[in-house]
Amino acid sequence: MLAASVGLSVSTSGCLRHVRSIVNRNEVEQLSLTITTLSADGDRESIQLAQDIGATLEAAGIDIEIDMQSREAFRRSILINHDFDIYVGRHPGDIRPDFLYETLHSKFADESGWQNPFGFTNLTFDTYLERQQRAGGEEREQAVNQTLEALALEQPFVPICVPHEFRLVRTDRFDGWKQGHLATRMGYLGLDPPTTEEAVLRAAHTDSRPSQNLNPLAVEFRNRGLVTGLLYDSLAVPRWSEGGTDAGDSDDEEPNGIDEDGDRTYSPWLGADWTWNENENEDGDERTENGSGIDTDLDPDADLEPTGTLTVTLREGCQFHDGHELTADDVAFTVDFLSDTTRDDNEFPAPSPRYRGHIDPIADVTKQGNELEFTCTASEPVAKRVLEIPILPAHIWGERTETASIPAITVADGTTEALITDNLPPIGSGPFQFENRTQREFVTLERFDEHFTRRESVALPEASAETLRIRIDPRSTSAIELVETDEADVTSLALESYVVDDVLEAESEREQISDSDPLEVIESSTGSFYHLGFNARTAPFSNPRFRRVIARLIDKEQLVSDVFYGHARPIAAPVTREWTPDSLAWTGTDPETPFLGTDGELDVEAARAAFEEAGFRYDDQGRLRVRY
Amino acid sequence: MLTQLLLQVVVAVSILLSVALAGVVGRDRLSLLREEWRSRLRTSAPAIALLLAILLLNRIMRQQGRSLSQDYGIHMTEVFYTIEGEFVLLFQAIASPEANTYFSISYVYGYVFLLIFPVVAYAARSKTIDFRRLLIAYSLNYAIGLVFYILFIAYGPRNVFVEELTQTMLYDNSPQYKYLTTEVNRNTNVFPSLHTSLSATVATFAYQTRSTYPRWFPIAVCLSISIMISTMYLGIHWGIDVLAGLALAGFCVSLSTYLVDRWSLTAILEQVRKRLHEYRDTVTTASQENS
Repeated sequence: MLAASVGLSVSTSGCLRHVRSIVNRNEVEQLSLTITTLSADGDRESIQLAQDIGATLEAAGIDIEIDMQSREAFRRSILINHDFDIYVGRHPGDIRPDFLYETLHSKFADESGWQNPFGFTNLTFDTYLERQQRAGGEEREQAVNQTLEALALEQPFVPICVPHEFRLVRTDRFDGWKQGHLATRMGYLGLDPPTTEEAVLRAAHTDSRPSQNLNPLAVEFRNRGLVTGLLYDSLAVPRWSEGGTDAGDSDDEEPNGIDEDGDRTYSPWLGADWTWNENENEDGDERTENGSGIDTDLDPDADLEPTGTLTVTLREGCQFHDGHELTADDVAFTVDFLSDTTRDDNEFPAPSPRYRGHIDPIADVTKQGNELEFTCTASEPVAKRVLEIPILPAHIWGERTETASIPAITVADGTTEALITDNLPPIGSGPFQFENRTQREFVTLERFDEHFTRRESVALPEASAETLRIRIDPRSTSAIELVETDEADVTSLALESYVVDDVLEAESEREQISDSDPLEVIESSTGSFYHLGFNARTAPFSNPRFRRVIARLIDKEQLVSDVFYGHARPIAAPVTREWTPDSLAWTGTDPETPFLGTDGELDVEAARAAFEEAGFRYDDQGRLRVRY
Repeated sequence: MLTQLLLQVVVAVSILLSVALAGVVGRDRLSLLREEWRSRLRTSAPAIALLLAILLLNRIMRQQGRSLSQDYGIHMTEVFYTIEGEFVLLFQAIASPEANTYFSISYVYGYVFLLIFPVVAYAARSKTIDFRRLLIAYSLNYAIGLVFYILFIAYGPRNVFVEELTQTMLYDNSPQYKYLTTEVNRNTNVFPSLHTSLSATVATFAYQTRSTYPRWFPIAVCLSISIMISTMYLGIHWGIDVLAGLALAGFCVSLSTYLVDRWSLTAILEQVRKRLHEYRDTVTTASQENS
């Protein structure tokens, strides 16, 4: 077969050259695109979204192919190699909208990771993002609104929906599950064991990746970093707003969680205390009297003036799991290391694919004893994101700056050992330390008794379980069964939507029978959202008009009921409800790019008209034609 | 849970085996096997060693070959879908809880039984040729299947017809089976269907030996057809995988017939030894000449 085709191409190549010179003008062809997504075993919702969207796009005359990939391969294609047309997947999101900066700023278009995987570049948009980054107070809220409105207009990606997160827990061995968010380390600390004998906390985890790799920087293997969050400490812990669940009606949320007071947004962790000192700017930077002065700062090449300093006092006497002391040096090292994992040894910088936005506003770090002073180029709430980074031990990661080498394989520039190591065993300073693992079966963590939360004097939630056993269980149905049969205490990842109805039904049945039942369904708020991403590096996805029409072919409301069985919130802005501007609030339909059709049924004529209006053409067979 | 489940499989298959052995093979052959197993083992040692080696390689490569496959494999899911469309959904016409149970049991327990039974049954024959052929056919199935799994990346229909197959999907109906099957299978290893090829191999052997084991032939055929249908019914394989599995079975059975007794291992060993001696002689003479 191969030999035949080689022979054929050799024998016809002379002829082909002639033909090619005639048709050398690029032909206007039918638009044919590949939707990259996860397989149903990896993410059931993604593939269903991709299929539904694909079917609608086909109806609009686009040739669609769906490329299913495993969890790691998907992230590698999208986030590292940027090898895709469009993709459908889940973004880790955040509870505050600051992640939009690294997600969409053009200066990150060439980097790997969640920073601008779309290759979206737009100077006007950059200025909105910079304004959002530097503005404080009420101005910040305005800047965020402006960014979100621009995003809805430009559609660098199409935000689809925020799925509701449900988890099943057992309360007979450990209780107090609602104290911390179960997608973060705080969900697994401070639990109340009924007796001190209950030493093992058992989690059923529906993702096998933690058993293969525990590198906090490896973007292919991390979702929101739950397991690495237990192993590595950050300086502070972001507080989830007291708004309760995302699923509930907006009416019963607290009036406004937007509060930039330091104590309301972060609680202390490795950093015992911190203060923010705003720079006094006489020469009119952001803060002119009337608040309109920021327009002077719109030059994209302008050097950013520092806006203030964040001084953090490190908790004393902390150590890593291997006994090394954790000092201010490690913190300074981590900030430096995340911005370039080669540490300037190499001409080609290799920033970390995770936490990029957290360290971007840090211009300089100075240390004095237990105090660290971060010079920042962003407003207080943005600068404080640096408090969330995992503190890496300098004596281990300092040796991971070399470009990784694998025999016989060419390694891309900027692929340092730090980015690809599986980091086993991980040495952090977190409340749990790594014990052992078996690939695709389990990961066992032991309580780290030297952790500062174990001290009498520290009133922070500590690990109550001696052992945390994370059992890898590939599907929600079997994870539920483990909790029901008392083989696990919690499903640590959110349940897939298609089982939620069954779980809720079982819960209400149990409530009717007895109230001493140990099973409980926990709903948590989330910033994570499903979206459709364009590779804006290539035509026609670089064209905002094209992207807008695509966005109008997606019936988010219908997808939420078909794919998520209603357990999701359709969105026009990829942020939590409290940050969504009124102009982009969901009103039963998308406020900016309403669906061209009704009840999931595309109005093909309207879609064609929209594409034609955007400057595209159809052939006589109804195929959308584009010039690549 | 895995050990508990494994135990279940072991118990169920052992019961099936003992019943079938008594009914199909007969007491006489079994007692003869007990007397002669040593000599039969010796004649069949190369075939047994081959199968064990292939199974070991298979185990290693399923882990290691995965990344190789991810980097260089060809994605075929879309191709299969384009070729056969919604063919596997035809089996949804017979979907019912009873059918779910029947096909799940065929897929898990029936398959294990179907593979183990002929090994014992053919070992119980005084002529070891079918025993050795069977082991070689198994080895070929695994070896060729492994190469295909590395070359082609394809997801089974359950990843494409997510919604349609929810009712019959093996892992959702009986999540416990997931533990067993992930032990031996990855979700991208679908082309060809080894469940099909090995079942068809066993059925072909049953046909060829029907004069010795007349009762086994119908059992093997029914069971292997059930297993083939179950792979599609449960959303694990495409029709194409099953066809490829049948082709692979045909190929492996004929090749095993061709290979067995073609060479005598002792003769080969003898020849190798002779060659070695010759080589050593030339080397020593050469070195003597040099000095």
